[in-house]
Amino acid sequence: MSQALIELVRGKFPDATGSSHRGDEVVTVPRERVVEVIGFLRNDPAAEMKLLRQIAAVDVLTFRSETTGGGSIASIEAPAYALQKKPSVEPRYQVAYNLYSITRRQSLRVRVELRSDDMKVPTITGLFRTADWWERYIYDMFGVHFDGHPNLQRLMLYPEFVGYPLRKDYPVRKRQLLVPELDFPDLVRGPGPGPGGAGVPMSQTHVGRANVDPNTYD
Amino acid sequence: MKLPMLRPEGNVPESARLGGEENNVPVMLSRLDETIGFFEKNLSNALGWARKNSIFQYPFVTACCGMEYMSAMAGRYDIARFGAEFPRFSPRQADLLMIVGTINVKQSPVLKRVYDQMCEPKWVMAFGVCASSGGFYDNYATLQGADRIIPVDVYVPGCPPRPEQVLDGLKILQDKIQTQRHRASTMERAPEMGK
Ligand code: SF4
Repeated sequence: MSQALIELVRGKFPDATGSSHRGDEVVTVPRERVVEVIGFLRNDPAAEMKLLRQIAAVDVLTFRSETTGGGSIASIEAPAYALQKKPSVEPRYQVAYNLYSITRRQSLRVRVELRSDDMKVPTITGLFRTADWWERYIYDMFGVHFDGHPNLQRLMLYPEFVGYPLRKDYPVRKRQLLVPELDFPDLVRGPGPGPGGAGVPMSQTHVGRANVDPNTYD
Repeated sequence: MKLPMLRPEGNVPESARLGGEENNVPVMLSRLDETIGFFEKNLSNALGWARKNSIFQYPFVTACCGMEYMSAMAGRYDIARFGAEFPRFSPRQADLLMIVGTINVKQSPVLKRVYDQMCEPKWVMAFGVCASSGGFYDNYATLQGADRIIPVDVYVPGCPPRPEQVLDGLKILQDKIQTQRHRASTMERAPEMGK
């Protein structure tokens, strides 16, 4: 059924590519066209996608799929291993708009691919008010800039936070605390930053692994 | 940093110590000192008894552990049986800070401030593994235990802890309050933390 939707979009926008996996239909469109395509899907009587269910972002640093250039490195594989091999998947990021039509009971995902050196997408807050916080959320977690967004600030994290935590290369053990830590010996979690400690703040240590460098990828 | 030594007995007056805090060997007690020590001990016991049975708590409820907190408060488990029935919604009126739930980094200045606003003497209970150690939230957003920023007296493990565990933790805290030294004039100061 939704195959017809892909055909509908491709009839209007020939540069969109469609794919379908077990009833999960996706159209991948060029970045410049995303507002047009979503506006078309919202207003077209055959689509009537009045509900923006979600905007999601994906970092495909450590795996490849058919959309990112073939090959198959299972995402389960150790990320550190994959990073050492530098798979350099480009475009590395995807932004996916999940649209739904309540009247026609059909859904479609519109996907935009982004290269890591140019992470800008036009905003769709002009079409859907709910896109406002979704876009701020994605900016917060992935650092994707939404051009024309009325208030693009961090949504969940604090303004002092440096970096984007859901990127695959954000160090897993990195903590950015707002209150200085106490220094007292902790028998379970390892020594703290005090005189007898390892100099590593306790929040950056781990059980049994007191001296891990928090800034290395692990 | 040096933690203050806990002297449960409280029967040796300050004047009878040799060389201040470092050396706790009592020297020749006069009859007067012994008398003062006797009264101080009884006063400390009385204050401890009064304080342990009227714990006013400030619930700092942030996450799912709040459900078990409500259960521990409500009729079935009834924390009021142990004299801790009054949740105070101002930290200035509370004796016990109950940290119930996950503390994330963005929230940690609030927790620190609430703790600083409480009057001496004050105690802290970490309720659940999240407040004790971060629990399974070992990630960029979560403080790995409230004891990273404020001193904690009792840790209640569990995700979430059953109300019985909370009551057990409360009784342990009551024992601690009873045996620590209380003084009428000057309050025992909490160690200066985080300097
Ligand atoms: S310890 Fe478990 S129940 Fe309590 S706040 Fe953490 S995750 Fe929730």
